[in-house]
Amino acid sequence: MLTNGVRCFCLYQTFLPTLNMKHRIVLFLLAALLPFAACKDEDPVTNTNNFTLTFRALYDGMPLEKYTNYSFGDKQVLYDKFNTFISNISLIKDGQEVLLSDIEWVNFTPDSAPDDRAVEVSFKYSVPDGDYTGLKLGYGVRADLNAKKPSDYPVGHPLYLETEYWPGWSSYIFTKVQGKVDLDGDNTPETSIFYHCGSDAVYNEATMNRTIRVAGDAALVVEFDLKKLFTFNGQLLDLTVPSNQVTSHDASNIALGQKVMDNFKNATILQ
Amino acid sequence: MGSGRVVLLAIAAGVLLLARCTKDDPAPGSGCDLTGIPYNPTPYTILKPDHFPQVPVPAGNPQTAEGVQLGRRLFYDPILSGDSTMSCSSCHLPQGSFTDNKAVSKGIDGIEGRRSAMSLLNIAYATNGLFWDGRAAALEDQALLPVEDPIEMHATWTQVVGRLRNHSEYPELFRKAFGISNCSQITKELAARALAQFERILISSGTSKFDLFTNGDAEFEDEELRGKLMFFDEGQNASPALPDAQCFHCHGGITLTGNNYFNNGLDSVGALSEFVDIGRGEVTKNPSDYGKFRAPTLRNIALTAPYMHDGRFATLEEVMAQYNDNGFGVSNEDIFVQQIGFPVTVGSTVHYSGLTAQQTKDVIAFLHTLTDTTFVNNPDIQDPFQ
Ligand code: HEC
Ligand code: HEC
Repeated sequence: MLTNGVRCFCLYQTFLPTLNMKHRIVLFLLAALLPFAACKDEDPVTNTNNFTLTFRALYDGMPLEKYTNYSFGDKQVLYDKFNTFISNISLIKDGQEVLLSDIEWVNFTPDSAPDDRAVEVSFKYSVPDGDYTGLKLGYGVRADLNAKKPSDYPVGHPLYLETEYWPGWSSYIFTKVQGKVDLDGDNTPETSIFYHCGSDAVYNEATMNRTIRVAGDAALVVEFDLKKLFTFNGQLLDLTVPSNQVTSHDASNIALGQKVMDNFKNATILQ
Repeated sequence: MGSGRVVLLAIAAGVLLLARCTKDDPAPGSGCDLTGIPYNPTPYTILKPDHFPQVPVPAGNPQTAEGVQLGRRLFYDPILSGDSTMSCSSCHLPQGSFTDNKAVSKGIDGIEGRRSAMSLLNIAYATNGLFWDGRAAALEDQALLPVEDPIEMHATWTQVVGRLRNHSEYPELFRKAFGISNCSQITKELAARALAQFERILISSGTSKFDLFTNGDAEFEDEELRGKLMFFDEGQNASPALPDAQCFHCHGGITLTGNNYFNNGLDSVGALSEFVDIGRGEVTKNPSDYGKFRAPTLRNIALTAPYMHDGRFATLEEVMAQYNDNGFGVSNEDIFVQQIGFPVTVGSTVHYSGLTAQQTKDVIAFLHTLTDTTFVNNPDIQDPFQ
């Protein structure tokens, strides 16, 4: 998964800059403790950055590509932007959450992408060996983190990003999906659609059950399928209705944003 | 081989070495040693308004007072150009918020470039690529380019570094900034690091009317306030409701740019390959990026006319007239330039109305609140030779 260096943006863009002093100290302490751990065989094995979590974007089971027409019921859609914040990324072990990360920004469509294919976004975490039973994800920005703004965060932190903050809502934009839909039937999508979802009320968490065995290096792939994200109870969102085409900028009108964010868990696939 | 011959060979080798040394090192022998000059760099904290985010500074080029002073001097010194007539400041003047107020810039040979000089205000925050197309990654890389650009300063770094090494003052300034022990250690990379340190202090003063308003220290006129609400898409609760101007999607955040790349709907082309300047596409080679440019900061925008990468618009009124057309429907045009104004349903599709004359005036009134004269007049960033 990490073999394709160009498409793995994790180490260069996201992981290293977010490795703050605290993480470094923890890593250092872990490293210092290693020799002792080795003497007591009942202690869990401590690994360093052994666990790779990769996010992928799909449309209808296929890797997402920007500016590519997809059928959406009897309509054609295309997308040019998809990014999202994920909080409280945790593995579950013996009913307990083992926190891997407070927050990550998963940007499938960075400016630096060499072509239109959505990039895979990977993060590395240090995870002790053992059998885990699930993965928990928080869709959006957890309330305590969302209570602050970009200038409160250090350079390189995922929440330092000003482009993903909207002062009008006093909130980060948890998820951005943008594109166009063809409503006049000429097979060229012309009508803008955008879903900018934010504010504490739309944050939600879900746990996906799955046996994840960690023994040294391990990896897990999480996929988000945009077609599933816009399918509600088996029905595709009706894009002919203007109020379904764009999320409102009115902070008191979050219905569509809420609907999309609540549906994220149904659009999540563990590979 | 007799010992005499060995000695001779050794002497010959020694002479050769010396000869090489003098060739590499244009500075006069004795003047080259700088170790007598103390090297005590003073850490430099970049001044920024409290409500601004932390300023990114690369670990490999920490700010020092000596580095900033050297960079400032280099920035204003025509020694960096082929015929010693042009400095960085020839195209980046403080009064124009570090632009030259020309549609496109002219280099030392009088040849016009194809693009407009960019404002350097808050350039330290631009970490998503520099230039209109993002082809330089960091200020340290960018600063190397204008010197050798044939349509800009048209020198060679070998030439410029030679001048700096032989100069009566620069060797001492490089010693104080970077601790070099000999003037032969002056390099283009060190010059670029000093320039970058100076550029990183070009931060807003925090005293524009917009900043004062943000911090509750000033009130907006009605039209400025309406303009702000439309700019930030916050007008739906105003009475009467105001349309979205969508500006903040691309010109948002404290620096009023997210530094991302967009096609903001300037040109009607049949195919993406028809853009006169393909902008971002030159860097990524991806046809979907043809015609995209980095959204520039709108701080001090009233001081930086003419506008756009090719300086095609003389006034903000012309800029707004363009945006009010909601683009041309070119395939990679950003959706937000197509949604300026109120939505109007026509048959099965939705179009946007653009802004009315009054709403346009309101947005321009807001843009004028971004003017920061304290910044352009800041004595610390002016020409040190004057
Ligand atoms: C002949 C005029 C000219 C001179 C001299 C010049 N520049 Fe520029 N500068 C420009 C133009 C034009 C651009 C935009 C070019 C482009 O995007 O292709 C630019 C862009 C820049 C940028 C990128 C800003 C951004 O927002 O990305 C920086 C930084 C910069 N110049 C610094 C310098 C420095 C430092 C020097 C001196 C070593 C210098 N310039 C000399 C005209 C000039
Ligand atoms: C889709 C993103 C986007 C939106 C929305 C947008 N802009 Fe821009 N803006 C850009 C880009 C990209 C450029 C540079 C384009 C170029 O030079 O080719 C630009 C350039 C400008 C410039 C010229 C800046 C300079 O230094 O030359 C002004 C002024 C401006 N925009 C104001 C606005 C205003 C006001 C709005 C809202 C009505 C707005 N923009 C909406 C992306 C956007």
